[in-house]
Amino acid sequence: MADEPYKRLMCLGCGFSYDEMLGLPEHGIAPGTRWADIPDDWVCPDCGTPKHLFEMIVIGYATGGADMARNA
Amino acid sequence: MSQSFILRNEERGHDLIKSDGSRSSYIAGHPDGFVTRASSFNFHEYQGGRPGFGTIRVFGDEVFHGAGCGYNMHPHHNFAICAFVFGGQLTHVNTAGEGMVDQLRAGDYYVFSAGSGGKHSELSITTEDMQAIYLWVMPEQLYLPPAYHRGHFDFRRRRNEIVMLVGDGDGALPIPQDLRVSRLIADRGRSFRYAPRTASHGAYVFVREGRIGCAGEELGYRDSMGLSGVAAVDIDILDDDSDILIVETIMIDEANIKTWESEHAGH
Ligand SMILES: [Zn+2]
Repeated sequence: MADEPYKRLMCLGCGFSYDEMLGLPEHGIAPGTRWADIPDDWVCPDCGTPKHLFEMIVIGYATGGADMARNA
Repeated sequence: MSQSFILRNEERGHDLIKSDGSRSSYIAGHPDGFVTRASSFNFHEYQGGRPGFGTIRVFGDEVFHGAGCGYNMHPHHNFAICAFVFGGQLTHVNTAGEGMVDQLRAGDYYVFSAGSGGKHSELSITTEDMQAIYLWVMPEQLYLPPAYHRGHFDFRRRRNEIVMLVGDGDGALPIPQDLRVSRLIADRGRSFRYAPRTASHGAYVFVREGRIGCAGEELGYRDSMGLSGVAAVDIDILDDDSDILIVETIMIDEANIKTWESEHAGH
């Protein structure tokens, strides 16, 4: 499990993204938190869409994007 | 390998969302306003259909009913959101760039790439129903600089030709994805051939008005068809004033869509 690459997911209600490597420190989720370890009743902080309606994505960041996502 | 599906009007997800109760912060226009939304793909409450097609996640055929109706200010990231207006007037307040208020009427359309974050509100402020098609597309990259572009399709002059509205063509609005949106308004008896750029591109053909033959299948009012792995899509116009949108997208390798397709094989 520890060798598992970090995943990225995107909210299908608004486009908000979650990055396991970055976590969401502003929303109380530490960097490195696996998607599977986020409670099932967690919802998108921007639009309230439930966790199961996030889609796993393989999309890279635009220049500087990761730093912005860290503080989302 | 060529694949296709047909989605009839009534097979789409049909929602009526009133501006009342807990939805009044989402839908503007309290107390009489309501939005009707027919979704080709799963979106919000509607989760009974296809997850998407290529990079498309939302294809919503919407009407805002009642003066003041629409969506209150809400945030987006990443998605490239397009709206094509067919009737009434859409007042669009958007924070992209310096921020702006745009007003769109029949033939007008916009591409809003939410990128690193933006907010918008969309309202119909006249008494006439506002009719639009919304298209949400996965971006090529996350957290791009937000961008807003708007264009106009001259439906009085540009008949009987496939006109690219969004994509890499001349005069088309840019979008951060390998995707093209074209519109065709044509007369009965005419035939057209749409060729996706490569065999890795699919085409989603939506009949907003009229009736067509599409790759040998008949599609009527608000029917649609998705095709991938084909060299060309033959379109025969069966009714006057047929109005068709074609979304060509790169067919990304997407687990949710593949799972859905294998579970629904042969249906
Ligand atoms: Zn969201």
